[in-house]
Amino acid sequence: MKPKFLLSLLLLLSLTLITYAQEAGPAPLQISGSVDTYYKYDFNKAGNIKTYFANEQNSVSLGMIDLALKKTTGKASFVGELSFGPRGQSQSIPNAIGSYNEETNSFHIQNLYISYAFSEKFSMTAGYMGTFIGYEVISPSANFNYSTSYLFGAGPFQNAGIKAAYVFSNKISVMAGLFNDWNVYQDFNGVSHIGAQLTVTPVEGWTAYLNVLSGKSAGAVGTGTIFDLTTAYQITNKFKLGLNAADYQVNHTNEGYSGIAIYPQYAFTPSLALGVRGETFKIKSSGSHVNSFTLSGNIKSGGLTFIPEVRFDTDKDLSQSFMKNGLGTKTASQFSLAAVYTF
Amino acid sequence: MKLIGCFLFLIFSSSFCIAQNEELLRDEHGKLIYYKLVEAKGCTKEQLKERVNLFLRKPYKELKLKTIRGDTVFVATGKLIINKTVLVMSHPSGEVLYHFQAEIKDEKFRFWLTNFNFVPYQRDRYGNFVTGGNKGMPLESSMDKLNVAQWKEYQVQTANYVSQFARVFKDYMVGKIGLDVAVPNKIVVKREW
Repeated sequence: MKPKFLLSLLLLLSLTLITYAQEAGPAPLQISGSVDTYYKYDFNKAGNIKTYFANEQNSVSLGMIDLALKKTTGKASFVGELSFGPRGQSQSIPNAIGSYNEETNSFHIQNLYISYAFSEKFSMTAGYMGTFIGYEVISPSANFNYSTSYLFGAGPFQNAGIKAAYVFSNKISVMAGLFNDWNVYQDFNGVSHIGAQLTVTPVEGWTAYLNVLSGKSAGAVGTGTIFDLTTAYQITNKFKLGLNAADYQVNHTNEGYSGIAIYPQYAFTPSLALGVRGETFKIKSSGSHVNSFTLSGNIKSGGLTFIPEVRFDTDKDLSQSFMKNGLGTKTASQFSLAAVYTF
Repeated sequence: MKLIGCFLFLIFSSSFCIAQNEELLRDEHGKLIYYKLVEAKGCTKEQLKERVNLFLRKPYKELKLKTIRGDTVFVATGKLIINKTVLVMSHPSGEVLYHFQAEIKDEKFRFWLTNFNFVPYQRDRYGNFVTGGNKGMPLESSMDKLNVAQWKEYQVQTANYVSQFARVFKDYMVGKIGLDVAVPNKIVVKREW
């Protein structure tokens, strides 16, 4: 019975393969995702540098498994992307029930939206989407560095809302939308944010995004507005330069942050690249500054990427609570080695 | 027993499909190329010209006419999507951009596809596969050990696509088939990587 069952299964799979090989119909359901894990060692032997992800000291720790589905039928499409694991659960917000609670944590929605392309130039999208603000994202497969920047941690992760996008030409497009508060499935003070993005592609390989997101979140004392510039230029086949600058201010308060990060990357071969992230970040309420320098390698073989990384942070105002031998310190440094598999 | 027979048949069918893989040739500059000279008995230059014009506007959505030189030389650019497929999982992994040129004379024509450039896709923050500004690599480039198998597969799948494209183009130009023949614009799939 068992061999028969196995043969039936193989037969079914073989049939599936042949059908795909001959298929010329509508786009199939896309299934993709990633899995990541890491080891980090902090040279102060403390859990310093608590920017999102890769923050567990001297431990082989988990990132997440990320599973994404996408289907396009005619002009309509959907994306559903869920993640499981610390990077995609407790370290991201919110969890399955829409709040941040370790005890009820189950999974995190990365993307859950439906899109309709009214024409080749105009489309509308509604649902829960990765934020349009910033350079780095939650999924490690879309970042060059494994640890993340202070700018990433301070900004929104995702935005639920409805947005319209219009492509004027292959050099200019715009997006505008109405959004919930940052990182929530449900907005308890009504749809409260407006956001817009201007995308400019001056030359092939260079794209710049000018972003703005403004609104009053539930319980906030004022309206928060973030201006963000995210740009990347593939200058040659080997050299890429990225930049992210952002300023966030809550009016009637001194709350907010500002910062700039630069991302030069050089590909020595298609399998080996080195990249630097240099960042300076300011917390407005305390006036404290943090500087960070990260050197990462990307060693690729098929879907697998190894990311060895060293990172040095300085925090002269002690705002990040770096520790050494049980005492506060102004510097922290770490080594990490991550493996990210994308499929 | 019947089940085993069916299974073996499918395995052999699979092998047969793989055995059909073709390789592109190299031109004098070392670039991969597919080149074909075709006799078209009874077809005038005007007829061939009209057919090329129609072909470049209809069946292959990603084939864009760029220039027509001297009434007989047609230059276009095209794109094909490379899909990764493992069992039931599939998603695009990159695109191959190419140059297409056709030249016509009375009762004959020639055409070639070359300048193949592979641009890898990466998944963006919204779960879509995009080029992400990557300029790509010529398909004839040599690849290091870590990625050579995958790169070879891209070459094989491109050759398969070109072979099918060329067959459709030839048959259409000599009047064997019409433009209503279903021509997939995204057909390159593979079983594993």
